[in-house]
Amino acid sequence: MIDGADLELFTRSLRHATDSSTGAALDAALDDLGWPDALADDPRAAVSILFGLQGGANATSSALDHVLLAALAPLTPFAPLELGGSPVAPATAIPPASNPLELGGNPVAPATAIPPSSGVGVGAGVGVVLPALGGWHPPGDLRGGRLAVAGLGTAGLAHRATAIVVARAGDKTVAVAVPTASLTLRAVQGVDPELGLIEVTADGLIVAVDPDADPLTGWTNAVALAQVALGHELVGASRTMLDLARIHALERVQFGRPISAFQAVRHRLAETLVAIEMAEALLDAAWLDQSPQTAAMAKALAGRGARTAARHCQQVLAGIGFTTEHPLHRYVRRILVLDQLYGAAQSLTAALGTELIATRQLPPLLPL
Amino acid sequence: MQLDAFRAALDAWLDEHQHDLVPDHAGVGSLDEQMAHLSKVKRLAFDAGWMRWGWPEAVGGLGGSTLLRAYLGEALTARDLVEPGIYSMTEVLAPTMIDYAPAELAAAMVPRLLRGDETWCQGFSEPDTGSNLASLSCRAARTDAGWRVTGQKVWTSLAQYSQRCVLLTRTGTPESAHKGITALFVDMDSPGITVRPIETMHGAPEFSEVFFDGVLVPFDRTLGEEGQGWSVAMDLLPFERSTALWHRAAYLHRRLEQLLGAAPAGSLDAADLGEVTQILYAFRARSRATQHRLDAGERLGPETSIDKVLVATAEQAVYDLVADALPAAVTIGDDPASERWRTGFLYSRAATIYGGSAEIQRNIIARRLLDLGNDR
Ligand SMILES: Cc1cc2nc3c(=O)[nH]c(=O)nc-3n(C[C@H](O)[C@H](O)[C@H](O)COP(=O)(O)OP(=O)(O)OC[C@H]3O[C@@H](n4cnc5c(N)ncnc54)[C@H](O)[C@@H]3O)c2cc1C
Repeated sequence: MIDGADLELFTRSLRHATDSSTGAALDAALDDLGWPDALADDPRAAVSILFGLQGGANATSSALDHVLLAALAPLTPFAPLELGGSPVAPATAIPPASNPLELGGNPVAPATAIPPSSGVGVGAGVGVVLPALGGWHPPGDLRGGRLAVAGLGTAGLAHRATAIVVARAGDKTVAVAVPTASLTLRAVQGVDPELGLIEVTADGLIVAVDPDADPLTGWTNAVALAQVALGHELVGASRTMLDLARIHALERVQFGRPISAFQAVRHRLAETLVAIEMAEALLDAAWLDQSPQTAAMAKALAGRGARTAARHCQQVLAGIGFTTEHPLHRYVRRILVLDQLYGAAQSLTAALGTELIATRQLPPLLPL
Repeated sequence: MQLDAFRAALDAWLDEHQHDLVPDHAGVGSLDEQMAHLSKVKRLAFDAGWMRWGWPEAVGGLGGSTLLRAYLGEALTARDLVEPGIYSMTEVLAPTMIDYAPAELAAAMVPRLLRGDETWCQGFSEPDTGSNLASLSCRAARTDAGWRVTGQKVWTSLAQYSQRCVLLTRTGTPESAHKGITALFVDMDSPGITVRPIETMHGAPEFSEVFFDGVLVPFDRTLGEEGQGWSVAMDLLPFERSTALWHRAAYLHRRLEQLLGAAPAGSLDAADLGEVTQILYAFRARSRATQHRLDAGERLGPETSIDKVLVATAEQAVYDLVADALPAAVTIGDDPASERWRTGFLYSRAATIYGGSAEIQRNIIARRLLDLGNDR
């Protein structure tokens, strides 16, 4: 556990890193700060603080890949993957069961031949393919030895030699390591080009899977962790939007008084804080009860709360907030995409309701 | 006593005494029946010691964490043994007595409330004073014999059952606003008090008008100092927004669970149900954190307005779902089960009114939590 003065120092260092760098530079800074070690020591502090700050600063990093690899590593059929700082997971550690053999019918280099990554920063060498937009199901589909992939990746994926694709294989879930070069990557521009998201697809990738290999059990856990991490990032972004709108409300004068004196404005900002605190309360609960259902509910509330925050803060910032001269637009863009990763508020909520109707049982309660 | 041990022992006791603790009446029952039952449950729980945990020894308690009494209320509510609104009055009024009453008075009175021997009420609102509490005008004049109280309170919950009232009075000039308010602890059988129950929308005469006609209140019944009534009220409100809300979370969870059991196939909208569940669980998570802050000795303040907004939002969301999924129960059913759903639905409409309206909570959040300054 990181606590007391250590926690304060850790937070301050991370704040400096997220405020002053983004992308590969932030990855390098996180490596220097020992964030990957912190992730192993105290996942709650490492994830909640970093992702909150990253969201607050509108920064990007490969931290999500780290979280996913950490969640999957001990449980995957391949050898545990070393996280950043340490040498790239040697490709030889990946057992033949999950070696990619051919691409589109053509023989490809066996896994043992995957060159060490030339990527920089944490998690170099191995990345994780994220579920498709709006969803939380494995991005891969493995049938008859052929792998289809429809998912997303963080900005660093293009620099990684190996991509982990979690796939459905009949009634099992398996993890397959494939050379990133065998996947089709599209650098997404979309609503938030600065996020550097990558769209990942593949069809008919031939892979050999040992039918007796243990199924992957870490996926549910990985999804839950990703949802909580993204939830903190959304909350961080929402808090910054609220700060921006609050400062504007205090400074902007109309009708002879600051607009913060108008109750309509005050209540929008109060609504925003309620939405934020509501999501944060459930994120905290998810760390305590470690229930995947709580994590999914928290992600949904964080996504919906961020949309609420964006709506109210945009209204309070009005004209200036609609320009690219003001930073608000960055956050509005970012939260639209983050809401869609590992389950959107809308899809998670509908799925929860469907499940409750089927089981007629509410999620377990965190005891007092 | 630790919470885990308390929980296990209390659960066992509740299992064992289930038969004595369940209400006799079918459905919601009349308010008279509910009140009689509440007294019985409190007495049994007090005599067995449960009701005393989490309260200071000086007022007849057994000490220990406030989490213990939070759990007691949760357990009683989750088992449908008490109605949370009337049960949780204790959580609102007893802490105020402990903090502000002369020590002997608190020691003499609080055990009666805990044991269910007495009911107390909270006389704040007046015909011309709702949200703007500082404008109250019920007058207490200093005389040689004590305070002479003249004026009127309204919507005073349970006044017609109460032996005592925590009463806010005007002791300063009419313009003194929050500075000229004094809190008194008044015996409801004092000469000059008239109580007239008011019919409410949900069917139970939950509250009353209370008239004070030259009522004499001894000086030693002053809570805090003269002119300190505003602090008494402000310190009471966070209690109204903490443990009582934790009990309410248990109640709403119970109702949502019962709705899942009762709703016919096809009657529940998945997206609505999912959203209501998320809101309820978030409210409960927030309230749980507040309970732990209280236990850690933190002083609760304006941040409990968030809890209050969430409970009102959750309660209305749960019952809006009820109205959609069980329309016949809410609108035309006349059996006990329907009545219970209907009463719950109608009562949920007040969740954004009592204890500081939804708008007042947002004003507090804007002013105190967001530091947006004055609203004019
Ligand atoms: C079931 C129930 C039980 C109650 N029990 C008690 C009790 O035990 N003891 C007691 O003292 N009182 C009790 N009350 C009264 C309750 O505290 C008041 O109803 C409440 O404070 C609101 O006052 P009001 O009804 O006069 O509404 P008003 O203050 O007249 O408000 C009317 C509307 O205007 C809005 N409004 C008012 N001021 C502002 C503002 N500054 N900004 C924005 N909007 C504003 C309000 O939000 C509301 O929507 C109870 C009420 C109910 C419904």
